[in-house]
Amino acid sequence: MSESSSSNPAACRFEFTAAFLLLRLFLGLRTFLAGLEKFEAGGRYTFANYYANMDRMASGITGASFLPLWATKNFAHSLGYLLLLFGALILLGIKSRVSLTLTGLLYVGLAFGLMAVQESDGIAWLGVYVGMFAGALVLVRHDRFALWRDRIS
Amino acid sequence: MPTPPFPGFTRRDFLTTGAKLGAAFLAAPYILRASPTEGGGDDTLNVALIGCGEQGRVLLNAALKIPHIRFRAVCDIWPYNRTYGERLLKKFGHDPKPYEDYRELLASTPGLDAVIVATPDFMHSEHTCAALKAGHHVYCEKLMSNTVEGARAMVRTARETGKLLQIGHQRRSNPRYIHARDHLIREAHLLGRITNASGQWNRAVTEDLGFPANQALSEATLHKYGYENMHEFRNWRWFKRYAGGVISDLGAHQIDVFNWMLGVNPTTVLAGGGRDYYTNHDWYDNVIAIYEYPTEAQIVRCTYQVLTTTSAGGGYHEYFMGDEGALKMSENPKYTKLYREARAPEWDQWVDKGFIAKPGSGEGAPPPVKPWEKPRARLPGASKSTSVVDVRETAELSAWDIPVTLDKAIHQPHLENFFDSIRGKTTLNCPGESALATAATVLRVNEAVAAKKQLTFAPEDFTV
Repeated sequence: MSESSSSNPAACRFEFTAAFLLLRLFLGLRTFLAGLEKFEAGGRYTFANYYANMDRMASGITGASFLPLWATKNFAHSLGYLLLLFGALILLGIKSRVSLTLTGLLYVGLAFGLMAVQESDGIAWLGVYVGMFAGALVLVRHDRFALWRDRIS
Repeated sequence: MPTPPFPGFTRRDFLTTGAKLGAAFLAAPYILRASPTEGGGDDTLNVALIGCGEQGRVLLNAALKIPHIRFRAVCDIWPYNRTYGERLLKKFGHDPKPYEDYRELLASTPGLDAVIVATPDFMHSEHTCAALKAGHHVYCEKLMSNTVEGARAMVRTARETGKLLQIGHQRRSNPRYIHARDHLIREAHLLGRITNASGQWNRAVTEDLGFPANQALSEATLHKYGYENMHEFRNWRWFKRYAGGVISDLGAHQIDVFNWMLGVNPTTVLAGGGRDYYTNHDWYDNVIAIYEYPTEAQIVRCTYQVLTTTSAGGGYHEYFMGDEGALKMSENPKYTKLYREARAPEWDQWVDKGFIAKPGSGEGAPPPVKPWEKPRARLPGASKSTSVVDVRETAELSAWDIPVTLDKAIHQPHLENFFDSIRGKTTLNCPGESALATAATVLRVNEAVAAKKQLTFAPEDFTV
């Protein structure tokens, strides 16, 4: 009598582990590079470019929505650093449960800004990412190859 | 008694100052137009207008923006139009004397320098020749005449009297058209070898013009001036005894651009058309023509269509196509574009020289960046084209802008050119001789439609 792979605990563990690793790599890279491109303008990466880009983003959102400038500016100025930090945490596997949750919340915050300016395409893309973060959190117990793993209950 | 917020500034002062400021605000648009005596001096030209109808008003409004012009008289057989022209001019500080008969105007207005003729086409020759013989320079609306013989008489009279005759093909004075012809085509050769051209004016259905019942001219007056009835007087463009039809009304502007841009007159014309929609008109309501132009490089075939039942198909433009590029021209800048063939040399040097510009908006422009977005970076080596084409298709043309725009009324530069020519500062952009060639080119289309065959031109068709 043959045994199906789904009923094999070892195979099952490998599939879940691989699925989570793929999500972790994709979301980590996406988040890190999204942070990095905030520093770019004209092919050059500088802090001056970062603040110019973020000021433009903040004033653009405020100009097209009800959100006050102080709120959009504070969010925008911290956004790039947070994306770099969270991206690195996810890629390295440092406290994946916490870092995935916080990054997912950051993406929800970004989606909120786009909802305020009725940018449907951007909202849809962010919705896809938030769904992927949710999926990753479901699989986070299968986290392997991590520098600092969560305590698995 | 409370202390006023601005000591020394009473309520009376406030009301007086407010009234003055209000009056100045209301009068500003009129003050901003050129005053007839602005600057004074010897170069002020005394001008009369014959024909205060639709086109006359367009020319009046353009001329009113030009300094050192004083309108001394207006003439129209219809009091309704005449009064309009007179009142408009008085509003801007002119004091024109109104006339019904142009003969009276020419005989009773001393010191005139120039006459603007904006009457129906069948009167152009008579009015122009009379004004020239009276010793005045003439600006006459296009089409020069509804007959080639009428146009020839105008040229002959101008030569005999030594007076200037400018015809109202105003694109010839449009700085964008001049830039396109002189710099883009002739200097930079951006089109390479010009092989074909096309032009069109597609206009939606229009209702016939009416008139206030109490303003109708008497039958005797209409007959005296050559009109059958009030309906034909108001809608003269559609009747053969007064005009040359749509190919003359609309097509003449663009066929003139064919002649002007290519620098030669055509050798043949083949045309089709008919009165298929407006059964109460004499003239064709749709015409399609094919010309052959013998340029130095090769025969250039030019198609032209004028439709008066649809505005679909891209409005109105002239399109010159060569083996390295194509130029789409229109008085409306939104229809203007320049295209580079993939095989042509790079055009970046012409951007640096200011001849052309990378499109900032519209066709060929990068997608608009939203206010909160960062301008998109282009990586070195990234493809400029995003679409995939069938292997049998030629690579997509790149679109470019022409960085020259006209910031005046479209007829103003042509009038300025006329007035400056009178002052000896320049030469006419559309002298009678040149417009005669255009009239011959245009009017032969109607003959080709009637003959249902290709007709040929002889060189003498375009000359006196």
